[in-house]
Amino acid sequence: MIENFLAGSAALFGDPITILIFIFGVIGGMLFGAIPGVSMLTLAAILLPFSAGLEPAQGVMLFAVIYCTGTYGGAITAILFNIPGAPENAPTAFDGYPMTKKGMAGKAVGAAVLCSAVGGTASALLMMAATEPLAKWAIRNIGPPEIFALVFFGLAVASSVGGKTIWKGWMSVMLGLLVATVGQDPVGGINRYNFGMTDLAAGIAFVPAILGFFAVSEIFIQAEKRAFGQYNAPKLNVDFPTFRELWRYKIAVVRSIFVGFFCGILPGIGATLAAFMGYGEAVRWSKDKESFGKGNLEGVISSETANNAATGAAMIPLLALGLPGGALTAIMVAVFQFHDMEPGPLIFYNSPELIWVVFAAMFYANVSILFIGLIETKTILQLLRIPFHFLAPMILMLASIGSYIGRGLVLDVMVMFLAGMIGFLLRRSGYSIPGIVLGIILGKIGEQNFAQGMQMVHYDLIVYLTRPICALLILAGFITLGAGIYKALKANKVTVKNVKSPSV
Amino acid sequence: MGQLSKSHLIEASVWLVIAIVFFVYSFEFNQEIEIYKFGATAWPRSILFMLILVITGNLFYQRANGDAPQQGRVGISEDDISDANKSLSSFLNIGSFIILPLLFAWSLKPVGFYVATPIFTALVIVLLGEQRLRWIIGITSLIYALIIGLFMIVLNAPLPQGTVSPFYDFSAFMLRMNTQLQHLF
Repeated sequence: MIENFLAGSAALFGDPITILIFIFGVIGGMLFGAIPGVSMLTLAAILLPFSAGLEPAQGVMLFAVIYCTGTYGGAITAILFNIPGAPENAPTAFDGYPMTKKGMAGKAVGAAVLCSAVGGTASALLMMAATEPLAKWAIRNIGPPEIFALVFFGLAVASSVGGKTIWKGWMSVMLGLLVATVGQDPVGGINRYNFGMTDLAAGIAFVPAILGFFAVSEIFIQAEKRAFGQYNAPKLNVDFPTFRELWRYKIAVVRSIFVGFFCGILPGIGATLAAFMGYGEAVRWSKDKESFGKGNLEGVISSETANNAATGAAMIPLLALGLPGGALTAIMVAVFQFHDMEPGPLIFYNSPELIWVVFAAMFYANVSILFIGLIETKTILQLLRIPFHFLAPMILMLASIGSYIGRGLVLDVMVMFLAGMIGFLLRRSGYSIPGIVLGIILGKIGEQNFAQGMQMVHYDLIVYLTRPICALLILAGFITLGAGIYKALKANKVTVKNVKSPSV
Repeated sequence: MGQLSKSHLIEASVWLVIAIVFFVYSFEFNQEIEIYKFGATAWPRSILFMLILVITGNLFYQRANGDAPQQGRVGISEDDISDANKSLSSFLNIGSFIILPLLFAWSLKPVGFYVATPIFTALVIVLLGEQRLRWIIGITSLIYALIIGLFMIVLNAPLPQGTVSPFYDFSAFMLRMNTQLQHLF
């Protein structure tokens, strides 16, 4: 492994053009992740046509690097503006933004930098050490039933965070799942809910939906506060967390690395679910559950470690099986195809040098997050100085471009602003925006894997429970769901009792 | 009725209407799929069924607790606005602010990005309370220049050009300028 890694490093740093592409990827990913309104996906969509002119290793490496640094960059906007740069940064905003409001933005961003780097580097090392055995294990043990079970568990976790009640959490998830059914059904290709619009046959793209629900709705909320004279500008603070503060969360970091890596390995799941699961597990194991969502540093740490830990792992199904784990890895499949290559088991034998350049680049990209991240953080925090009425139009314009560029459809810009309006109304009523977004992202994956799984087991659902990983994940999902409903019913009983005997 | 209010009933009705509309529309694509016994409607209808269940659960919760958040919930957004300072003009202001982006999105096809952007940017700044003309023009120009510089000149991103003259002509002029600029380097 070490020899291969050194050979990959030599190939990466031995060619000035490759170095330039690497640096461009590192800085571009961070910048596009950190600019509110656009994301690494915007950059990836723009760069895709240009990648045809690069060497295969350079092209794949560029997107892998953007994936690593962009995942970190999205945390900055999540923390500073409550606008996650990508869906995988949504749980980071739960505690990151309250920390900014409390004047602790420096601590939150500092923790995000360090944990993204730690999670990403650990994941890159695990990926280098175990891509082939893990891919073989995944082929043998992970099938559509397990992926469906994980989607179910992920949705159960998503419903338990964000909404005012478990019911509103689930209503948000259901809305997301319903939105995901728009477009062709994943089995027979039958058009669903396109309401006679041709453009809707391709479904609702999740980038505009995410930008609308997160970025545009946040702008509307802040504009409303401004209109009603209740806007408070976030406080600027550049104090980083101390090493001692971060050391307290070592267990959360290790746990999130494993959670993130496991989610990343599973094809189709990717970093988004990893971040939610990392956050959910942090809440589950914490002694101070009440402080989550109010500015608990552990929330930022868990989410950011997990989503970056998923980046390396997401390369395993992509490279070893040819299955993308998310939007950006799907773009990487296109890069392979531009060069008449197919990711899959043969790539390790046909193009080992490409694989190791990508692995080495991802390792160095994660290390760069630490150094460049710490240097740029103090500058980026200055964004908080820009008055809201100048920042808002910039974010709206960038978000419009980010929505349009993916498919070149004006409809996507419309969808984004409509999602913003709906998100604005739903947030005011205590619904969970991350729940909706996760529903949109996981809806199609869940349906596709459920259908494939049912075909596989000849429509006998009991077989799902005879597969240990699947059964475990379904059980975990039901426990999460049951615990949430139990708490809601308990709350009902307490209130009814209090209403009947107000003196108590 | 417990603590159920009119707004709770309206909220539940809206959700029910959504569920009914989607259920009725599902008959439009109620086709069999040869390789999949459940067909194209099973998944969306299951979601609708579960949606009805959670709407009912939500109503029961609201009947007992009103608008109070459930204890121990994590990540609840604090977006409530107190009743103070709510005037008609502020409602109109926020209403226009929310409608404006939809108008911008609608205008992209006929007018194009290059013309619609500065107008939209300036209007957003005005609606957010900036009244100094110099600042409005200055910030609008800065944002326009940054966006054109990054997306048109550096990244060559294809943006909507419009379909109606003279807007289309202006977009074509911008693209010609960009091509000439690219040739310089």
